[in-house]
Amino acid sequence: MAQPIVSKKTYALTFGTLLGITALTTLLGFIDMGSLNTVVAVGLAGVKACLIAGFFMHGFYESRTVRIAMIAGVAWFLIMISLTLVDYASRFW
Amino acid sequence: MAEPLALILREQFHAPEQQRETATLGMWIFISTEIMLFGGLFLAFSVYRMYYPQAFIAGSADMNIALGATNTAVLICSSFTMALGVHSAEVGGRKLLNLFLALTMILGAVFLGIKFTEYYLHYLDHRVPGPGFLFPSADPPKAEMFFLLYFIMTGLHALHMFVGEGILFSMILRNRAGSFSAEYHTPVVLAGLYWHFVDVIWVFLFAIFYIEGLHLHKW
Amino acid sequence: MTPVAEAVTVERNYLNQGEGILSWLFTLDHKRIAILYLVSVTMFFFLGGLFALLMRLELLTPRAWLFNPGDYNKMFSMHGIIMVWFFLIPSIPTTLGNFFIPMMIGAKDLAFPKLNLLSWYIFMFGGAVTVFALVRGGVDTGWTFYTPLSTTYLNTYVTATATGVFIAGFSSILTGLNFIATIHRMRAPGMTWFRLPMFIWTHYATSLVLVLATPVLAVTLLMMGVERIFHVGIFDPALGGDPVLFQHMFWFYSHPAVYIMVLPGMAVISEIIPTFSRKPLFGYDFVAYASMAIAVIGFLVWGHHMFVAGLSIYSAMAFSFLSYLVAVPSAIKVFNWSATLYKGSISWDTPMLYAIGFLGLFTIGGMTGLFLAALGIDVHVTDTYFVIAHFHYIMVGGTVMAFLGGIHYFWPKITGRLYPEGLARLSALIVFVGFNLTFFPQFVLGYLGMPRRYAAYPTEFQMLNVLSTAGASILGVGYIFPLCYLLWSWKYGKKAGPNPWRGTGLEWTTASPPPRDNFEVSPIVEGPPYDFGRMREELHLG
Repeated sequence: MAQPIVSKKTYALTFGTLLGITALTTLLGFIDMGSLNTVVAVGLAGVKACLIAGFFMHGFYESRTVRIAMIAGVAWFLIMISLTLVDYASRFW
Repeated sequence: MAEPLALILREQFHAPEQQRETATLGMWIFISTEIMLFGGLFLAFSVYRMYYPQAFIAGSADMNIALGATNTAVLICSSFTMALGVHSAEVGGRKLLNLFLALTMILGAVFLGIKFTEYYLHYLDHRVPGPGFLFPSADPPKAEMFFLLYFIMTGLHALHMFVGEGILFSMILRNRAGSFSAEYHTPVVLAGLYWHFVDVIWVFLFAIFYIEGLHLHKW
Repeated sequence: MTPVAEAVTVERNYLNQGEGILSWLFTLDHKRIAILYLVSVTMFFFLGGLFALLMRLELLTPRAWLFNPGDYNKMFSMHGIIMVWFFLIPSIPTTLGNFFIPMMIGAKDLAFPKLNLLSWYIFMFGGAVTVFALVRGGVDTGWTFYTPLSTTYLNTYVTATATGVFIAGFSSILTGLNFIATIHRMRAPGMTWFRLPMFIWTHYATSLVLVLATPVLAVTLLMMGVERIFHVGIFDPALGGDPVLFQHMFWFYSHPAVYIMVLPGMAVISEIIPTFSRKPLFGYDFVAYASMAIAVIGFLVWGHHMFVAGLSIYSAMAFSFLSYLVAVPSAIKVFNWSATLYKGSISWDTPMLYAIGFLGLFTIGGMTGLFLAALGIDVHVTDTYFVIAHFHYIMVGGTVMAFLGGIHYFWPKITGRLYPEGLARLSALIVFVGFNLTFFPQFVLGYLGMPRRYAAYPTEFQMLNVLSTAGASILGVGYIFPLCYLLWSWKYGKKAGPNPWRGTGLEWTTASPPPRDNFEVSPIVEGPPYDFGRMREELHLG
């Protein structure tokens, strides 16, 4: 098998970290940080997503082609959202 | 008994390794399309979040954080059991695979149960968009937009959960029929990828719907 | 060969392996699925063409004489919806792509044959829902479904039609996914990326767009459907929504969709031109990179459909610049095809006639696209016949010409028969003349200010409109001709042999029609594509 088997220990560590970040997200949510609240919430969600994609979904262990397929979806979503929001942010009206 | 290799290898492939890699790649391409599907909704959310910041934060403050956070934890647990299920499949532990698939299904069902309880509470609070919508703020139509996107996005997510439950159930049936072994378990891996992806979507939904306005939450 | 020997050696091929309608409906063979698609998209093409013909008849006179304006709105809406989603988008990828991608890379089949069949069923289901909406009374939103017109003001079958398009979208996604996985993982030994025929590169780029753009259309239509069914406001300005957001999302799909339609046309042209000029494709690497560049930059230009919709002025400038930019890779392709012709030993067979037609018409379509990318001119000609003429030069002059060229080029391989060459050349000529007579006057009309989507128009436009209608009739004849003689040749045509055009790809090394597994012996690739020099040596030696 070319596919390496991810150990149970790695999974458990990932799991613990995910739960920890969820608790942290929730606790930080109670503090009023102005617009930083959104940044922190979405940023931590991004970290969790990377952990899940990397370890649970074997993203860190897959071939280059598969990784490109993973990244393509995210990249294209960023293209769509950034070009659209640039329009909204730069309107006079 | 596991199926003989000749039956598992489809005729268009020349090696099991090629077949496994192709299937994984196909699944990842599918997940990319799913990212774009949800991406359209995240885009709509961002635009209206920019338009109506106050109404959206007020709407977010109205969410039930206890249920939301519990659900997030439940879903992360289910991802963990799914990952352990894939691990069992890889080492050929069929009984363990069955156990973990069943646990994942149960956790998924708990998630859906809590989600629909939440929907019911929203319904009691008149938070369902439409003629009966009520929201204690200066500008109900803007908060209505928040709840509309909330229902569409979490609803589409819940639909994906139902599909995931169906996939897991079919995996259990196939495992009981002895289709999987340490040599061949690609369908379990693919089912796992799907399940984790649905989890990732929820992680973001949790952040934008529950956390953003949490500091204004009234107890 | 004696009759007895012939009876014994009757070749087994994909057409005669398995009999009866069920063997077709449950086939997992990519070649048979391609034929199923070919039959389906041809039906949709003639259905959409019928609407076009009725519209042109209506526009024969300045006053609405054939339909009332409401019915005319349905005509152009149904023409657009059927042609875009049920002909142009699936046309080349699902027929020629489906048939020849595995053959050109030396594979037995696509990576996921069941998904391939499923995608055909999804396509037909989506088509059936759309046709149902059409029969029940049609839809008059235009093919773009703009809100709030579609969600608030119209009482036609908007939801049903959008559902049909929504469903058909998933068939596109599955096709794209299948192609990408196939091209990555199913190539024969020795078939490296830079030995791939350009057909494969270009289909790879197409699939990328199919996979990444189509889901956005699905979710956009979903939101539109929710707004229409539940009377809530997502895009409705009266309820706090933003209709421009609909346009952003719609065009995020629909502009790249233009490249879904035209890239496969380029794929076919890149095969035909080298074969009939007996020269390798000029600047192979550049053409390959240009395909990928079109797919990627094509995603960054959608705003040019919205210059008059309330886009921010800075955004509009950026989109205008990016739209100019996407013309660069297209131009690279046109130059490289022309350079391939240079000093080639050109033969004017039917596929080549279509390819040359494509080259000219696509260039005109592309150049007028630059007019539209310019902010000032776009404001002047938005929603006029100039735009209509522009995209028909790309869609019909480009994609349909390439589709016909490709069908003729690959027909001997698909059926094992040759079509009547003289008749085919004649009809290629008829298509070319008819096309230009139909659409060139529309450039003039649009520039003079005739708006699109009206059943009536001022009398001074009549002359040009009559010309256009006359052209459309000629074009119609040009399309019916191939349908007739191709079907005739399937049964009565001369046997083609494996390689009637002396092409170089793997698809020409196997029998015509090919066996079920495409090749008797799995091929091994040892050289670059379009290696006509080596082929010449082999012919001399052999």
